[in-house]
Amino acid sequence: MPESPGVLTEDEAVELFAYLLTSARTQLDEPPDYASMRLLTAAESLRDRIAGRVSPEVAAMLEATVAPSSFAQEHVNDFEAYARSLDELCAILARNLVARAELEGQADD
Amino acid sequence: MTDGMLELIRTRRVIRAMSDRPIPLQDLEKILEAGRWAPAGGNQRVVRFAAVRDPKTLEVLRQVSPGMLQRPAAVIVLCLDHEAIRANEISERDPVLFVDIGTTMQTMLLAAHALGIGSGPVTSFAHEAVRVVLNLPRDLTPELMVCFGYAEKGARQPLIRGGGAPRVTWQDLTHWERYPQSLQS
Repeated sequence: MPESPGVLTEDEAVELFAYLLTSARTQLDEPPDYASMRLLTAAESLRDRIAGRVSPEVAAMLEATVAPSSFAQEHVNDFEAYARSLDELCAILARNLVARAELEGQADD
Repeated sequence: MTDGMLELIRTRRVIRAMSDRPIPLQDLEKILEAGRWAPAGGNQRVVRFAAVRDPKTLEVLRQVSPGMLQRPAAVIVLCLDHEAIRANEISERDPVLFVDIGTTMQTMLLAAHALGIGSGPVTSFAHEAVRVVLNLPRDLTPELMVCFGYAEKGARQPLIRGGGAPRVTWQDLTHWERYPQSLQS
């Protein structure tokens, strides 16, 4: 695997760290299903910051795992659809990770 | 109430994408004054306003507030003053304290809208972190933040619960006079 480039500035890393740590506290007072939204927001925030600085392969992975704009509506109105959409994104992510790690054999579809 | 006021109430929306255009100090002062005129239980003023315009402080506040999706030009943190609560012999568990926070928030949201300024409340923040960021005295507890800024074009649409279901009307929320006996459990 090639050497990983630095893709976050210190300020960006601190912002993400603060978001995750404070979310751990606020989540104690919020509905349990908010946790998923908070993590997704963190993932999107990370993607936005690194998108222009990563290898073409990782850029393609980030592009392929962009959450649909309907996600927030699904989250409050159709939780099963929301879960299915997340499953699909996770599967796409896994296929990309398998390819990136150059694992032998093909990832299951 | 004038039709203009009703129109303001109808057209206000929570704004989650804000431009970096600064808000004139005079307008923020008008919003703060509106908050002062909000109804308060027993007219006992226990809500305090921590107003923030400094960009660096705003950025740190945002970093400890997972619910702050917007990048506001100003934030007013509504705090409860526990010294005043004790002085007025109000129970710390009295729900009127949070009613006061709510009336103050809504009055400020409407004042901002009247001035053409977008706004949005935030309740998801790490309270102890906000206390540290703002150097809040021990008797002040941050209860709710109100973000202010001019709406960015292309702002995210409001979350609509119920999918494509029709908007809730006031009739959906209202029952006139006494409820029928049959609804008693």
